Amino acid sequence: MTKAEILRFWKKFRKNKLAVIGAAIILIEVVLALFAPFLVPFDPFQPDYVDYLKGPGNKHLLGTDSLGRDVFSRLIYGTRVSLSAGLISVIIALVIGVPIGLITGYYQGFLDEFIIMRITDAMMSLPSLVLALAMSALLGAGLKNAMIAIGIIFTPRYIRLVRGEVMKIKEVQFIEAASSLGMSDLRILFKHILPNILSPIMVQATLSIATGIIVEASLSYLGMGTQPPTPSWGTMLSSGQGYLEQAPWIALGAGTAIFISVLAFNIFGDGLRDVLDPKLK
Amino acid sequence: MKKLVLMLVLLLTFSLAVGAVAPQTGGELSVGLDADPPMLDPHMSTARVDRQVFMSLYDTLVELDSNLNIVPGLVKNWQVKNDGEEYVFELREDVLFHDGTKFNAEAVKFNFERMLDPEFASPRKSDLDLIKEIEVLDEYWIRIILSEPYVPFLATLADRAGMMVSPTAVEKYGADFANQPVGTGPFKFVEREIQDHITLKKNENYWQEGLPYLDKVVYRPFPDGNVRVINFASGDLDFIDELPPKDVEKIKNQADLNLNMASGLGYQGIWINKAKAPFANDKLTQALNLALNREAIVNVVFGETAYVANSPFPPGTVMHDENRESVKADPAKAKELLKSAGQASGYEFNLMVAPDPTAKQTAQLIQSMASQVGIKINIELLEFGTLVDRLMSKNYQAALLGWSGRVDADGNTFRFFHSEGSMNQSSYTNPEVDQILEQTRKVADTAERKALYKQMMTHLDQELPYIFVYHPKEIKAYKDHVHDFVAYPDGLIRLEKVWVTDSE
Repeated sequence: MTKAEILRFWKKFRKNKLAVIGAAIILIEVVLALFAPFLVPFDPFQPDYVDYLKGPGNKHLLGTDSLGRDVFSRLIYGTRVSLSAGLISVIIALVIGVPIGLITGYYQGFLDEFIIMRITDAMMSLPSLVLALAMSALLGAGLKNAMIAIGIIFTPRYIRLVRGEVMKIKEVQFIEAASSLGMSDLRILFKHILPNILSPIMVQATLSIATGIIVEASLSYLGMGTQPPTPSWGTMLSSGQGYLEQAPWIALGAGTAIFISVLAFNIFGDGLRDVLDPKLK
Repeated sequence: MKKLVLMLVLLLTFSLAVGAVAPQTGGELSVGLDADPPMLDPHMSTARVDRQVFMSLYDTLVELDSNLNIVPGLVKNWQVKNDGEEYVFELREDVLFHDGTKFNAEAVKFNFERMLDPEFASPRKSDLDLIKEIEVLDEYWIRIILSEPYVPFLATLADRAGMMVSPTAVEKYGADFANQPVGTGPFKFVEREIQDHITLKKNENYWQEGLPYLDKVVYRPFPDGNVRVINFASGDLDFIDELPPKDVEKIKNQADLNLNMASGLGYQGIWINKAKAPFANDKLTQALNLALNREAIVNVVFGETAYVANSPFPPGTVMHDENRESVKADPAKAKELLKSAGQASGYEFNLMVAPDPTAKQTAQLIQSMASQVGIKINIELLEFGTLVDRLMSKNYQAALLGWSGRVDADGNTFRFFHSEGSMNQSSYTNPEVDQILEQTRKVADTAERKALYKQMMTHLDQELPYIFVYHPKEIKAYKDHVHDFVAYPDGLIRLEKVWVTDSE
C-alpha cells in the first residue's frame, strides 16, 4: 500500500465512528497486553491471605478474588491470553487455509471438488465449540493446544473464502495476460492473485479474532483452555461463577472484558468491510 | 443459687418444649449427593458416596454412636476372647431381609465368605483377611477366629465390611445384585436411573420398632457444588451433602435453612510418589512441606470448615495428639534444605488436581507458596476418574487428593504407609514403620497405641510419603421441615430417625 492509499483508506474509515471506537479499544488492549507487567497495580499471581473476596474499593480497584488476588491486575493479564489466543489461532488458520484455498481455487479438479471441499463441509457442519472441545480433549488441556484447536477449526472458512475469490479473479483479463506471457503459476498466485484478494481475508480475519476470543474463553471456562494460575477471562468467569452472590465482581469483570473485546473486534471488522469490500462501494 | 434455679427452670421448660414435638410418620425426603453412587453392592463399592445410600439400604453388624463408640447393631452382644483372636457374636432374632428371608448366622457366614472369595475380588477382602475360621454355633450365634489379634476388627464391621446382603438375592441376581440391592436396612430399593436418581421406600418390617418415619427417600447426584446449593436453596432438595465451604455464610443467613457441621475423620493433602524424581530425595520433599502456610490455606479457602492438619488423625478422634506441633511455614529453612540437597535454585513437578473449585483454589495457593522458595508446581487438572487411575498405577509425581477417613486409626494409616499396604501409592517403605503399624493392630490399650502412632509420625515427618494439609469438616445442610438429623463424624447420613413436617 502506498501512502496515498493509506490516507484514502483512513479518510473513508474514520467516517464510521463505531469502527473507530472499536479500533481504539483494540489499540488500548494491545498496549495493555504488551506492557501488562508495568501497568498492573498488584502482582496478579500473589494471593492475599487477609484481603480475599474484598469488594471494589479504594485499595483494589475491582476487588479481589477468592484467593485475594487483584481482579483488575488479573483482567489486564487476561488481555494477553485472549488477544494472543485470538490472533495466533487466526494466524494458524491463515497459514494452513490460504495456500490450500489458493491452490484448490486455481486448479480445482478432483482433489478440490471431492476431497478438500467435502472435508471443509464436514468440519463446518459441526458447531465450532463442540469441535474445539473434542480437539482439546484429543490434544490435552492447555492454552497452546486450545490455540491450535481453534486455528484448525477456523481453517475451512479460509479455504472456502480464498478458493471462491481465486475462482472469481482468475477469469479476469490481467491474470489471463500474465499466464499467456508465460508467467509461472506460483508467481501468478502469489504476485497477482493474492494481493488482489487480501481485503476479504483481512475482514474475515478480524471477525475471526472475535470468535477466537470467545472460543478460548469458553474452553478455559470448561477447564480445557488456560490452566491455573495464568489469569484468563474464561477461567476467571468460571471461578467467579461460584461466587456470584458473595463476590459478583469477579465474574462481572471477566464477563465485561470479554464482551467489550468481542464487540470491539466485530465493529472494527464491520468497519473494515465497509471500506475494503468493493461490492459495497 | 438463684442462677442455678433459673437454669434448672430454663432447662426444664426447654426439655418439655422439645419433648412436646412428636415425630411424624410419612412424607418423603430428597437428598442431593456430590456424585452418582457408582456401585450399590457394599462388598464391591470403593466410592465414599455409595456409603450414603448404604446407610439406608443396609445395617451393619455393629454400629457407631455419634461419639464413635461401637454399639450393638445386627449383633446384639459380642465377646472378645483369646487375646483378641476370637469373636463370638449373638445376633438379633427379629431381622428380615427386604426380600422376606431371615437374617441369621448362616447369612453372616455367607456374607463373610462372599467378601473373602478371591474370585469375587472384593475391596473388603483386605479388611477381613485375618479371618481364619467362621463357625455357626446356633441359628443366631456365630464365632469368628482370626489368625492373629486385630484391634480394628469391630470398627471394620461398623462399615461396609459389616453390611449384610441377602444371600438369596445374591444367588438370584448374581453379578446384577448391585442393580437390585437387598439388605436389612430401614429403606428398600425401588429404582434407579443412572445420573438422575435412586429411589428407596420405607421397610415396613424394619427391626427397630416404629422406624423409619419417612415413606420415601430420593437421592439425586449433583457433582457441581454450585448447582447442588442452588437446587437446595431455591429448588426441591430437602437435604444436601458436602456443602461447599464458601456457601456456609449464605446458608447461615437464611432463616429456613439449617447447617450442620461435624469434625470429620479424614485428611486432605499431597500424595508424594517417592519412586519418582524429585521426591526420591527427602530433603526436596521437606522443603515443599516447609513452604506451605497451612493456616493461610485453611483461612482463605475453608474458614471454619476445616482444621489445619499435621497428621492423619483429625481433632476429635482417639489417636489425635493435642501436643503435636503443626508445621509452621519456614521459607528460609526450605531454601536451606534445597541448597543442601544441591538444588539451590529449586525444582519443578506436576501436581494432579481434580477440577473441583475448592481443590483448584487450594492447589493455586500451594503453587504460589511453593514458588516463594523456588519450587515450581505445574497444576495438572484431571477428571476425577483419570486422576485416581493415574494414582493407582503410580503414574504421577504428586497428587492433591485426600482420604475420607475411618473410625479406627488403622484405616487412616496401614493401607497407605505399610510397605505391603493395599493403597501404598507413595511407594513408601520403612521397615520400622511397618513394624509399628503391625504392632498397632495388636495393642488394645489406647495410650500404648497412641505412643506407637507418635513414633510412626517421627518417621513420616522426615520421609513425607504424604503431606498433610487440612482436615475437612463434614458439612450438611437441610431445610427447616427436616427434623432430628444427627451428624456423625464419619459424615454418613443416617435417615432412620429423620422425619419431616409438611413444607407448605
